[in-house]
Amino acid sequence: MDRFAYTPVQEQIIAAPLAGSRYISGPPGCGKTSAAVGRLRRMIEQGITAESILILTPQRSLAAPYAREISRPDLPAGGLPTIVTLGGLAQRTLQLFWPAVAGSSGFRHSELPPTYLTLETAQYYMAKVAAPLFERGYFEQLVIDRNRLYSQILDNLNKAAVVGFAHTDISRRLKNAWIGKPEQTIHYEQAQECANLFRAYCLEHNLLDYSLQIELFAQQLWPSHLVRQYLSNQYRHLIYDNLEEDVPVTQDIIREWLPAFDSSLLIFDQGAGYRAFLGADPANGETLRELCDQTGEFSQSFVTEPALQELGNAFSNILRPKAEKTVTPRALTGYSFAPSRFYPEMIDWVAAEVARLVHEEGVPPGEIAIVSPFLSDALRHSLMHRLLGHGVTARSHRPSRSLRDEPAARCLLTLARLAHPLWNLPATPQDVRAALLQIIGDIDLVRADLISAMLFSQRNKQAPLNSFDLVKPEMQERITFSIGERFMRLRAWLMDYIESEPAELDVFLARLFGELLAQPGFGFHDNYEAAGVTARLIESVQKFRRVTEATLQATGRSIGQEYLMMVADGVLAAQYLLPADEPPPDAVLVAPAYSFLMINQPVRFQFWLDVGSLGWWERLYQPLTHPHVLSRRWQPDKAWTDVDDFSANQETLQRLTSGLIARCREHIYLCAARVNERGTEEKGPLLYGIQSLLRLARELEAGHV
Amino acid sequence: MQIPANFAFSQNNLQDYVDCPRRFELRYLKKLAWPAIRSEPILAVERHMLLGERFHRMIQQHQSGLSAELIAATASEPELIDWWQAYLSAAPEPLPERRLVEHTLSAPFGNYRLIAKYDLLAIAPGERAVIVDWKTSLRKPKRTLLSRRIQTRLYPFLLVEAGKLLNNGTAFKPEQLELIYWFTAEPQKPERFPYSTDQLDQDRKFLHDLIADVVNASETDFPLTGDESMCRYCNYRSLCDRGVSAAEREDDAADEDNGESSGFDLDFEQISEIAF
Repeated sequence: MDRFAYTPVQEQIIAAPLAGSRYISGPPGCGKTSAAVGRLRRMIEQGITAESILILTPQRSLAAPYAREISRPDLPAGGLPTIVTLGGLAQRTLQLFWPAVAGSSGFRHSELPPTYLTLETAQYYMAKVAAPLFERGYFEQLVIDRNRLYSQILDNLNKAAVVGFAHTDISRRLKNAWIGKPEQTIHYEQAQECANLFRAYCLEHNLLDYSLQIELFAQQLWPSHLVRQYLSNQYRHLIYDNLEEDVPVTQDIIREWLPAFDSSLLIFDQGAGYRAFLGADPANGETLRELCDQTGEFSQSFVTEPALQELGNAFSNILRPKAEKTVTPRALTGYSFAPSRFYPEMIDWVAAEVARLVHEEGVPPGEIAIVSPFLSDALRHSLMHRLLGHGVTARSHRPSRSLRDEPAARCLLTLARLAHPLWNLPATPQDVRAALLQIIGDIDLVRADLISAMLFSQRNKQAPLNSFDLVKPEMQERITFSIGERFMRLRAWLMDYIESEPAELDVFLARLFGELLAQPGFGFHDNYEAAGVTARLIESVQKFRRVTEATLQATGRSIGQEYLMMVADGVLAAQYLLPADEPPPDAVLVAPAYSFLMINQPVRFQFWLDVGSLGWWERLYQPLTHPHVLSRRWQPDKAWTDVDDFSANQETLQRLTSGLIARCREHIYLCAARVNERGTEEKGPLLYGIQSLLRLARELEAGHV
Repeated sequence: MQIPANFAFSQNNLQDYVDCPRRFELRYLKKLAWPAIRSEPILAVERHMLLGERFHRMIQQHQSGLSAELIAATASEPELIDWWQAYLSAAPEPLPERRLVEHTLSAPFGNYRLIAKYDLLAIAPGERAVIVDWKTSLRKPKRTLLSRRIQTRLYPFLLVEAGKLLNNGTAFKPEQLELIYWFTAEPQKPERFPYSTDQLDQDRKFLHDLIADVVNASETDFPLTGDESMCRYCNYRSLCDRGVSAAEREDDAADEDNGESSGFDLDFEQISEIAF
């Protein structure tokens, strides 16, 4: 836990009087956050009560340096600062002041406590209110997974809340900007209808999704004298970091709150705004500068070598249409271009090169990041597998992973179907075979297949597994008695359960895990990963149960049955958050590029995968929403043209590549595959940019530049 | 397994260590999710725990200035209504004027930190400070059991160590402190633990020795508890090959101190983080 020496500019911030407001800006990696952490430390050392300090960041991962500081063993004794996002602050305040505001907020049962929805449960209720409209033919011309439509409608509600316009105005904004085929405007109207129905349902049942939490906080709680007094008494000092990644409504609240703080430090990362697709508004954030007593600029990077700084400049100019295209000799040492013919070949090369860096050059694995525009399960798996094969520790980071696709979760859900015959959700022999592979640790595919073929009965729902004793002795021997014994224990456990009063699904899963699957001899016993997946699944079911208990009671349907049906429809268990705030282990990071930026942890080496992919440049296909049109930057009556689209994509690419380069200390590998993951040739603007760079490099080497 | 340099010792993790060193290692060092049931009947345990959380929040609302009538209207469950009435009519008093609710204090201690979250700190700077802990257990535990809990030793000790800024810049004298456990099961009979310099010295030594023991175990081995009856209430029992089913709960006030007591965790913070 050694400390590094601060620069004079950082010292100025740290030692500045503990009064008044300060705004500092600069590119990433120039020590702004380190200075703010140093200032936090000094404030506490000087006797400011730590609990009066509010540390606000747009995303929890961005607050990691502050969290680390306050957990240092040598931090002076006392209280602790609050480290929070707007969502967290809104929820804490709502929990406290709900009785005071609920009555005037349109809730039907304002006297009862609210139910907070997760992304998953919000999606469930959206499916519930929108499904009848789908049956009536809504969105039928859109060839896209239904759950993606639900999430876009929720996204629209969230955008309205964080940008600060009425949720009833979503379709008008989208329609005004649309200049394509007229039928699309009908989809916008239909999406608006779904959003309105969802909001009405939430108000009717005391449900608080993210959008409603933010709206209540911004429109009811924040203007309340009682609440403002409470917050102002509680927090006397503010550190607001990465404000450029925050949404307008947070920036607006800080604008009003700022004069009430004894001291405040606002930090702005130039050239960032990577969360624009989530409503981040750097331009609105930058206006907070005008309200501050002191402003300062940081410029010297502590992260990137001059070669990479010059590479960043060259690349920025290449991506800007009218900028002069030049490259310096030093910039050429900052990168390598690594072309491959086929995608798997590229993955192989990356894994081998990472292994070379680790094993031959002695680079710690944690100093290497492999980034791509998206991280599919297939890509994650193949990369992790290859790295492991080379003896390199790796970790993957995605905001979410598909829980229902995890083999352990599939096994548990299969057993849940077998154990609840009345739910009428049959399992197939293939499901049972796959489950046996998980349940019985040392079974192989052939034996699992034999058991499922011989002893699983789809017809006999009350006793879906037959006794091992019915198998001929020679076959018993082939399967082995040890496996047979464990199969019989599984069968007995299931039979006991089927014959008894059914439990709630999460309780069933917890008992199944503890009493059988995690017992010695079974597949989950010393399988920590399977235990982790089981814990997540149980948590998902449990949250679903607690949230839906009241609304499902009226229908007479079982919560467990509803959960399994929703899993089958892809509404639930489609994703789950990875555990937060874990210190990064010394392992190669495999992540989507945006996730890497939000972790904000520079590395020595970066590998950019599949630079030919259009994913580096263009937005996801989202027919019901539009991050730019629903932002505060957009004039509500203006049309969104191809020119706007092109320049927005170009700006995104420029911002993304600058952000990545600014978080690399030594070298970037630009990895291309002529034939991509889907077997087609793809040449996106990033690849064109790289080709321009290579051309300039050749000209430079030939002495033409 | 090494203890991370930024590890903070709390009443929960120290109590777990005292109960079973192996459990401490699995839960706090390996952070191993092991989702077996701790005690039955699980849904009743869960319901009780959720009501306990609601009750704590109601008190927080009340101490933050919301009117008792407004808060009472949010409770419809009979137990919660009873607890609330008990709180209004029999909460310990008189308490000093300044109130800090759900307040966290931490302090360096050796090479690590101590940390505690107080339900209520009532303070008259320069005069006295009262720690109030609301207990919603089904039965009031015996005083001897309470006196042995880590909480009873850690909370006043840490208030002396870390409460200077709450007392006009001077550490509280131990004799100025009192810890009160207040029980919904017997609201008229709170247990009061006055503090003293002698007790402070004993607690300092006790905590020092206990943490040294933990550090020592981290360099050698975290043994399983010798009291196998504890395993019946531990979610790791299958991992340690010490049993199959969870036992019926034997309720005591200690259960609710551990937010994970039912094996069902609440993480309200996460909701907003997931949502957008």
